[in-house]
Amino acid sequence: MWSLIDTGFGFWDVYAWIAFFLLAGGGFFYLRSQGRKDYRRGTDQDDIFYGGNPVPEDGEEITVPASSAYWGFTRALEGWYKGLTAWHSGMATEYLGYMVLVMGLLALAVVR
Amino acid sequence: MIGNLPYFAVAALVIFGLFGAIFGRNLVKIAVAVSLVEAATNLFIIALGYRNGGSIPVFTQAGGYADYMVLPTPQALTLTAIVIGMATTALLLSLIMLLYRHYGTLDVREIRRLRG
Amino acid sequence: MTIWREHLPALLLALPLLGAFAAPVAGHFGSRARNVWFVSITALTALVAWGLWQQVSASGIVVYVMGAEHSRLTLPSGMALPVRILLEVDAMSALMAFMGAIAALAGALFSVRSMERFSGLDQFVALYLLLTAGMLGMEITGDLFNFFVFLEIASVASCGLVAFWRDRPEAVEASFKYMLLSTVGALMVLVAVAFFYGRYNTVAMAGVASHLQLGLAEKAALVFLVSALAMKCGTVPMHMWTPDAYAEAPAGVTCLLVAVSQAALYGLFRVCFTLYGASLGSSAVAWALIIMGLLSMFIGVTMAVIQKDVKRLMAYHSVSQVGYMLLGMGVALLVLSDPQKMAAYGAMALQGAVYHLFNYTMYKGLLFLVAGALAYAAGSRNLNDLGGLGRRMPQTAALFVIAAAAIAGLPPFNGFVSKLMIYESSFAVHPLLPVVAMVTSMLTLASFVKVFQTAFLGPEKAALREVQEVPGFMRGGMALLAVVVLVLSLFPTWSVGSFVEPAARALMDRAAYVGAVLGGGL
Repeated sequence: MWSLIDTGFGFWDVYAWIAFFLLAGGGFFYLRSQGRKDYRRGTDQDDIFYGGNPVPEDGEEITVPASSAYWGFTRALEGWYKGLTAWHSGMATEYLGYMVLVMGLLALAVVR
Repeated sequence: MIGNLPYFAVAALVIFGLFGAIFGRNLVKIAVAVSLVEAATNLFIIALGYRNGGSIPVFTQAGGYADYMVLPTPQALTLTAIVIGMATTALLLSLIMLLYRHYGTLDVREIRRLRG
Repeated sequence: MTIWREHLPALLLALPLLGAFAAPVAGHFGSRARNVWFVSITALTALVAWGLWQQVSASGIVVYVMGAEHSRLTLPSGMALPVRILLEVDAMSALMAFMGAIAALAGALFSVRSMERFSGLDQFVALYLLLTAGMLGMEITGDLFNFFVFLEIASVASCGLVAFWRDRPEAVEASFKYMLLSTVGALMVLVAVAFFYGRYNTVAMAGVASHLQLGLAEKAALVFLVSALAMKCGTVPMHMWTPDAYAEAPAGVTCLLVAVSQAALYGLFRVCFTLYGASLGSSAVAWALIIMGLLSMFIGVTMAVIQKDVKRLMAYHSVSQVGYMLLGMGVALLVLSDPQKMAAYGAMALQGAVYHLFNYTMYKGLLFLVAGALAYAAGSRNLNDLGGLGRRMPQTAALFVIAAAAIAGLPPFNGFVSKLMIYESSFAVHPLLPVVAMVTSMLTLASFVKVFQTAFLGPEKAALREVQEVPGFMRGGMALLAVVVLVLSLFPTWSVGSFVEPAARALMDRAAYVGAVLGGGL
């Protein structure tokens, strides 16, 4: 129960990882305790810096919407995504066609 | 050759059905095509149950051929498959009815709000 | 004690069926009675599945013959082949049934509160339990035709549940697409069953497996079975129904639908390993599974990255996760007839696939429940409308982090262990295979970071200021799955040794599966 899993080429030991996280956590809290002592909660120190402008009341206006996440990634792969979204056409009969197509290809491969 | 006729019918019905379901545009016609495939499958099982020289699997009516009664499994399978087919066809048609109410059309090309 | 222990396989099917058809009766006595009925039936089913798993791991394959004088009498009066309805439970089936029953219990706990705003709940409970029965039936049957029957029960019930919100056009549309595909797919399974009947005069899996000689009919049956079952578990390029159906179904149902699609994957395992096994002939099917697995992984995850609907995003992830299992399964199938390679990495690939299947069902169910909790609390599934919910729903956020870390394969969670097994064994076949799998894993992490950042982090939005943590029952359903994920993560040796390894060994041991039916006559 407490031993490790041998995967044939390597092994997996969850307790080594937990020990690692404990050590890393200890290091983190040590470094954090070395930080500035003059920080005070609830003073001007934790005001949001919004380019010198007043921070909007509604969080909506300072959020990056989900559709803008990974903009660079989707932009770089634009051709791939254009083809892929066009492929997911929403036509029920096309979906059925792909199934029959796979069946045909598999038949060619298996029967030969 | 004539003994293989049911299998040719099965193949033809499956091909017609799949063709209709893939290239059909009207939802009701697609449902009809699907039930064509279903009929072909039932015919296939029944045709497979035939044995040369066998008699019907009802003891009182098999006469002197009681030793040659065929296994009644295909009939049982087909009955089950027919009932299941009826249920799926009914469900398909009721979904089509709801789709017509929501989208106002039976054209499969118009019913594609979910994509991408 | 011993008497009803013998009937556990039948009880596993009878309980949810009874629950389904008596649900309207329970609903007659008010919503509280119905909820008690719903939860207790699913909990009892899970208990029975646990008992069955214990029985199987203690005493090997359990065979149950419906309607015989003696429940283990498979070959009455000197018959060569079994004629009655057979249930055959080996370690793999028992694992699947146990897993499915847990997912059903979690979904039921979640649905009790998340669905209470809606009418028609008697029918909801009936269909939910019917879906559970169909799923469990697929997993424990020893008979190909019954597999088809339970497949149809499961698909009819799940289509009814996907279209449960029938006033939403999208839900009806998703249900129609799923129904069209699964009807045709199930008919293909039936054609394959007919081929087997025509050749061997039997539909019992053990009977077919013991006589199987690869000919044209068997090849055709193999093609029909593999493509139809691969469609049912959502493999690219037949995956397009998955995001539609998973996203539009109520969240508790989606949790169960994940387990149902794994039942189809179980069917694929059964067909490839038990039914055909070493007589599969060429490596065409193995390579087809590997290629479909790679395509599913990569296309599924790239589509997931760009989704805005949180449930649709997660549904695309289930496409990509199924790819891992297909990869592991394909690698194991490739070297099945070579004992040396099988011992070197094939068995590990199969164990990885089975382990990943178990892990995936648990964390994926949890993720869908979290998505349902978000939709319940914030009233929207669109990630653009969500934000800052980590402050309002800290417990849901914590549960999401557990599930997301598990699916992205972050150590020390269980998702990493099963992925590691698949990486290392597929590396032996070709180095490119684990590369695709690892890229997929990274993109998985990327898209869950996106979900976490946009839904739980960030400033609070004015529209979401009134949001509260979801009710206790919903958290209970999620916590059940989270506990299973944590147990699988913290005790990997125990879970692999007692759940996964026996299941993988049962899949490889074709002779035992056949012998339990054909050699067990009195």
